Amino acid sequence: MKLSDIQARCDRVPFFRHLGFSVTEANDTHFVARMPFEQRHIGNPVLDTYHGGIIASFMEIIASLTVLDDLESPPPKPINLTVDYLRPGLPGTLNTRATVSRKGRRMASVETIAWLEDEGKPVAKGLFHFLLV
Amino acid sequence: MSDTKDAERFAMIASVWNSRAKGLIAEMDLKIERADRQGVEIRMPFNPDFCLDEEGTMLHGGVLTALLDSAFGLANFLAIDDVQTMATLDLRVDYLRPASSRADVIVFADCYRQTRHIAFGTGKIWFDTADCEEVARGSATFALTRGKGSLLDKMNTGGPGG
Repeated sequence: MKLSDIQARCDRVPFFRHLGFSVTEANDTHFVARMPFEQRHIGNPVLDTYHGGIIASFMEIIASLTVLDDLESPPPKPINLTVDYLRPGLPGTLNTRATVSRKGRRMASVETIAWLEDEGKPVAKGLFHFLLV
Repeated sequence: MSDTKDAERFAMIASVWNSRAKGLIAEMDLKIERADRQGVEIRMPFNPDFCLDEEGTMLHGGVLTALLDSAFGLANFLAIDDVQTMATLDLRVDYLRPASSRADVIVFADCYRQTRHIAFGTGKIWFDTADCEEVARGSATFALTRGKGSLLDKMNTGGPGG
C-alpha cells in the first residue's frame, strides 16, 4: 500500500480529517503517523493538554489501518480497547506507532504507542482488538 | 455536607463545566442532563464531523471513548469533594454494537469507589431512542491529588492557561 493512497483513504473519513493526522510509515506489520496539536484536541482547559479520548482515538485509527488487507478492505470492526496513560499529553505533535501482535482470519490484536518528542518517553500505550469479518 | 449544599455545589460544577468548555469538550457540544453524587448523564448531539462516512451514518468509536473519558472526569469532580488534580491512569472501552444512528448520544458515568490516591469509574453510552440501545461500556481509573484549590476553581477564576 502506498502512503499517498492510504492518506487519500483516510482523508475521506470525516472524523479522521477532524483529527488531522498524516501517515508517515506503512508496512505489513506496523504503521506510524503524526498529528499536529490543535485547539480542538484539548481536554484539560487549564493545562491545555490533549484530551485522553483524542489520544485513544488517534491510536485506535492507526491500529485499524494496520489490519487492512488492502485499500479496498472495509474498515475492521473495533471490539474493545485498553489505554494506559503514562505521561501528560502536553501540547505538541503527537506520534503513534501501531504494531500488529496477531492477525487471524476473524480477529486481530494491535499494540500502539504514542509519544511527543521521544519514543522512549511514551504518553500512552494501547491495546486494540478488531473483528475482521 | 447537606443536600442543599450538595445541590448548590453540583449546580456550580455543572455551570463551570458547561461555560468553560474548551477543545474537544466544546466541539462535542455536551449538555449535562443530570449531575449528582450518584453519577452524571451527559447528552451529545449528532455531529457529522465525528462520523466514519461522508453520509454520516455511523459515529467513529473513538468519539464514544472520548465521551466516556470526559464524563468520568465530571463524575469524579462531583463525587470527590477535595479533588485538586486528576490524571487518567487507564481507560477500557467495549464497543457493544455499531454506533449507527443520528440520534443524540447519552453517556452515564459514575465514580463508584475512591481512595486517597485513586478513583474508579464505570460508564455506559446509549442512543436517545425508544429502545435506548446501548453502544458502549467503559471503565477507568484515575490518580488523584487532594487539597485546596481544585482544577475547577482554576477554571472558575481563569487560572493558568484557562
